Amino acid sequence: MRRFAVLVVVVALAPFVVRYPTLETQILTFGLLAVAFNVLLGEMGFLSFGQATFNGVGAYAAARVLIDLHAPLLLALGAGIAAGALVAAAIGALAITGRGVYGVMLTFAFNEMAYYLAFQWRDVTGGDNGLRGIPRPDVFGISLDDATRYYLFTATVVLVAFAFVLRLIDSPFGAVLRAIRENEDRARAIGFRVRRFKIVAFAISGGLSGLAGALYAGLFRFVPLQSIDLDTSTNIVVATLLGGTGSPYGPLLGAAVFTILSNSLSHVWSHWPLLFGVVFCIVVLFFRGGLWSISGLWNRRATHA
Amino acid sequence: MLRTHSLTKRFGAHVAVDAVDIEVRDGTLHAIIGPNGAGKTTLFNLLSGEQQPSGGTIEFRGHDVTRLDVTARSHSGIGRSYQRTNIFPKLTVFENVRLAAQSRTRESFALWASASASRALAERTERALGEFGLLAHAQRAAHELAGGDQRLLELAITVATDPALLLLDEPSQGLSPEDAHRLIDRIGALASRFTIVLIEHNMPLVMGLAGEITVMNFGRVIAHGTPEEIRADANVRAAYLGTRG
Repeated sequence: MRRFAVLVVVVALAPFVVRYPTLETQILTFGLLAVAFNVLLGEMGFLSFGQATFNGVGAYAAARVLIDLHAPLLLALGAGIAAGALVAAAIGALAITGRGVYGVMLTFAFNEMAYYLAFQWRDVTGGDNGLRGIPRPDVFGISLDDATRYYLFTATVVLVAFAFVLRLIDSPFGAVLRAIRENEDRARAIGFRVRRFKIVAFAISGGLSGLAGALYAGLFRFVPLQSIDLDTSTNIVVATLLGGTGSPYGPLLGAAVFTILSNSLSHVWSHWPLLFGVVFCIVVLFFRGGLWSISGLWNRRATHA
Repeated sequence: MLRTHSLTKRFGAHVAVDAVDIEVRDGTLHAIIGPNGAGKTTLFNLLSGEQQPSGGTIEFRGHDVTRLDVTARSHSGIGRSYQRTNIFPKLTVFENVRLAAQSRTRESFALWASASASRALAERTERALGEFGLLAHAQRAAHELAGGDQRLLELAITVATDPALLLLDEPSQGLSPEDAHRLIDRIGALASRFTIVLIEHNMPLVMGLAGEITVMNFGRVIAHGTPEEIRADANVRAAYLGTRG
């Protein structure tokens, strides 16, 4: 609870201390993607290599609802959640039939299919030009036509979603996901319908990813084809492992570091991923719990001192 | 309580369980003994639903459960422990047992509830942990427990699912003599509340606890009776006791 309070304060003050609201909004949407991904990896023990699918589907769904129906923004977010959850439940139901690495490859393959579908279906997605001209309507009469305001709106939504994930992990449902991660066969033997739990977990992860996509669509009023490509899926995996899978704070931290580094370093040096790769290897090899575990060690030392 | 009719499991040409008829009566502790490879664990796999039989039927509390999968068997009231410790290693001891208790509730799809806040679950968990003397270890990760305590946790998980029938697969496997003694006490106590089928190599344990014994060899039942009858049975001596001294 205290950690969450600190997070709320940091997120609320960030754009007033460091005035890059657009970048900070991106951190939050990407952070939500990583947190959603980690529900599957960190809690349930399933490596989903196709998370961008749900992000992209959510972004397109929200954008279409805004463009075609002139729907309110919150409704568009709802459409993003619903689309992400439905697609994730369907893909998840198929992916979990493959054990181990085959399940991973299935999420990968579906991501590739979704990408080509988005690439081809220009009427809906704009193809490789991206989907432009997305309106950003007022919410409850408040105009969001300002980067800081949109940041605050996104921050509110992401923090609510993050609180939901924290509750989820503490819930009986979350306990079952960890049981599946630790020993799937025993979970089944003590009476849990493992397949059902996995599909629901996929739907939750997909719904949150779709929400992130919808917020991103509102941020740039534009959905690039990249929102559904494999690079994005890879970045989600990398940012999460960088931050650490042991707690939802890890992926959030990892996403922040990843976004900041990729934005700052890419201006300085076009080969920045090389440097980032080194940092990533060091963290994964020597700090298995990711950056968040390092901050945990520091916290523990600080309280002992 | 449990009855099988010519229950059979083939793996290719090998018949692991060969037309087995056994009957486990309410309230008994029924031991299954036999040399390694006699088909005892395969029989358990069939009874618990982990494997599907090649032939025959299983009747449990008057219902044919032959086609039920492992999850449905668990809900029908068959609880099983494993020869190789089968727990949730990185979760706490408390969480291991709470999950088992939780599986009997409708709370598992509650996304917004707090598992640790449920009084009823906590009480059931504490009772099961107390019964096996594990309360002191409740907050430790399960894999940190000593071997003997892990075997007890294995049993506590099974008991916490509140089964009518307990299938215990070599619970004393790998235990020191002292731990084995502790375990015998526990199983003796369980026998007053549950119907138990016990696979065991530890002969003093079996002879001391069991009301009925079924002896298997090469997938078949070769003898069945009270401990005294089994001790006197020539077939059993030849096939099993004789070879083991």
